[in-house]
Amino acid sequence: MASDLLSIARSGTMAARIALDVTAQNIANAGTEGYVRRTARMAEVSSSGGICRIGDVSLSGVRLDKVVRNADLFRQSEVRRTGADAARADSEVTGLENIEAAVEQSRVYPAMVDFDGSLQRLAGDPTDASLRAGVMEAARTMAGTFNIAAQSLNSAASGMQFEATAGVAEVNTLTGELARVNLRLSRAADASSDQSSLLDQRDSLLQQISAYADVTTSFSADGTVALRLGGTNGQDVVLGGSATPLAMTTASDGTLSFDVGGNGITLTGGSLAGKQQALVKLADVRTRLDAVADGLMNTVNTAQTGGSDVYGNPGLPLFSGSGAGGMSLAFSDGSGLATAPAGSGPGSRNPGNLDALGTALGAADPTGRMDALIFDISGTVASRKVTKEALTTIASGAKISLEAQAGVDLDQEAVNLMRFQQAFQASGKAMQVASTLFDTLLNLR
Amino acid sequence: MTTINTSTSAFYDRSMQGIASLRAEAEGLQASMASGQKLTRSSDDPVAASRLRQLSHADSLSTINTANADRATTDLSLTDSALSSFAGYVTRVKELATQAANGTLTAAQRSGIGTEIAAIRGNVLALANSRDAAGHALFGGETAGAAYQTDALGNASYIGTASVSDLPLGDGQTVSRGLTGPEFMNFSVNGNPTDLLAVLKGLSDDLLGGAANPQGSARAALDVLDQGLDAVSTAQTIIGTRLAWIDLTTERRTSLGEMRSTEEASVGGTDLAATVARLQETMTVLEASQASFTRLAGLSLFDMLH
Repeated sequence: MASDLLSIARSGTMAARIALDVTAQNIANAGTEGYVRRTARMAEVSSSGGICRIGDVSLSGVRLDKVVRNADLFRQSEVRRTGADAARADSEVTGLENIEAAVEQSRVYPAMVDFDGSLQRLAGDPTDASLRAGVMEAARTMAGTFNIAAQSLNSAASGMQFEATAGVAEVNTLTGELARVNLRLSRAADASSDQSSLLDQRDSLLQQISAYADVTTSFSADGTVALRLGGTNGQDVVLGGSATPLAMTTASDGTLSFDVGGNGITLTGGSLAGKQQALVKLADVRTRLDAVADGLMNTVNTAQTGGSDVYGNPGLPLFSGSGAGGMSLAFSDGSGLATAPAGSGPGSRNPGNLDALGTALGAADPTGRMDALIFDISGTVASRKVTKEALTTIASGAKISLEAQAGVDLDQEAVNLMRFQQAFQASGKAMQVASTLFDTLLNLR
Repeated sequence: MTTINTSTSAFYDRSMQGIASLRAEAEGLQASMASGQKLTRSSDDPVAASRLRQLSHADSLSTINTANADRATTDLSLTDSALSSFAGYVTRVKELATQAANGTLTAAQRSGIGTEIAAIRGNVLALANSRDAAGHALFGGETAGAAYQTDALGNASYIGTASVSDLPLGDGQTVSRGLTGPEFMNFSVNGNPTDLLAVLKGLSDDLLGGAANPQGSARAALDVLDQGLDAVSTAQTIIGTRLAWIDLTTERRTSLGEMRSTEEASVGGTDLAATVARLQETMTVLEASQASFTRLAGLSLFDMLH
């Protein structure tokens, strides 16, 4: 088979055209999330001589060998891993900040201080109706702020649970999509542009899933991926063309657990894991807030029943209900406050029982316990924030390093544009030469 | 092809992150200057926030302690002035008794003195039943009603409680807010307990003709009245000491309050000079990075190649 200058030049222009297309595609997708820069890899077309034709010049131009995706598997998996860590830390901090706001901004601590203060003020004149009313109002405000704190915690919990539910649904949509991409990948022709865009889709889906949960991936030769959630000992979620849905269970204390097809998994990364951890903390904070409220109510009620009120009757409990959410006043008339010791006559100004209440409150120290609770939450938030910032920096570093390697550099594309334009023009020139040669032959007389 | 290139999107991402974090820092500094508070939420500095909570707790209790101290001061001052009146009355009765002990006086004159002493006794009884700032019996201890009551024969008896309640002054310090009637009215003569109202009643009754020897009764009363005056002035000394104690605790509370506000300012307040300097530094870096970003972003080969 002899060489054909015209067809060689034609293959050259076609190759240059393809390279220009790839360059234009790169430029067009310079800002596309998840797009990996392509390069057209060319291969020479030539044949060695056949039988009896040794030494023949047999050149047939160039052909497109492969559209190369410049994706680095290691950097991509780093982006997924660090992204999952950062997403977990981010959603945990957000949840913890909600918890902090619920307890702190309900202003339950200032209300407890006011209640303390109102009792101390009442010691100035235990029978004064306005001071007694002051104590009642301070107690009412305090009960109200405890209720608000409990409600805010509940709504923070239901907000996180809602987001986790939405996250699980999103993961299932994405894994379903990934299974379909796997099916198509197994049928796509090697190195086709179709395969490249499917691989882009696959990587983008994996990255999106990794924002919700830590993923373990194993790739086969045809580009399909097996996806596993919950670390190496976790459960397969996507295997070939089939996807097993992720499911979530909410326990009675509001904490979450995850399973795949009935087998429980432990998530360590992704926003779902962050929500899970924040909800565990929330359950703990709720228990401790209830304990503070119960301790306070118990102390006050015990002191109340050990004294006698302004009419000389035995004191009745001031608070009813249980827990921060159930805290309420059992009576609203200030004359029911038992400031005098048991057995005192009506209108007694003896502050004996009020002093006993003060001593009991000092010993039980509910304000101190509340302060410790707020300190615990805010300390957790502060330390997690530091972790979050570190993880976010690592994640964005990994992302930028992937982008630097796999992303489009416009300057380089500008150079490529020039280079392939010149290649196209040169091949055109070769065609012209072929035509001139042909004309020379035709013009022989 | 494995060239390491800086992709356009990586360049924009990096620049955006740098500028955004500088902006966030500048905004944080601005917010802390605007509010005058270093902390916007507890998690900004958990230890400082907890300290601030404890300080504000102490502050709010201190305000109430100040109010209680004022209340105690008022009651004690009222007690003090009442005791001065008691002393004046006893002194006046002593003068009258001295006159009555004079042998040159007629029975009618003595009975006139007896009438005056009876009137003074009425004043003393009214004073013993006087009210404090809150409208309670000043000398009745913790009772709800009056301190003294008079029976059909005109004999007064104490019906208040045995002791006066203590008022908290903060930091575990307390002060007794007054005196009960018996604490300064009751005294003993030659080991026999008596009280001022009974002494006055006995003297006036004797002078009004109840005794065979009114002159002797008057002379005998002089010693007893001295004892009564002693009891009243001793009580005045006690009240003076308590007032001084309140002053002392008030001073201590004030200086503690100053220390607290100093600590509050240093723990939670913004150091304006330092914050302004840091803001300026941040702004300089921000402007520089914005300027360099603009120049780098404007650098495109597409503009050069034609």
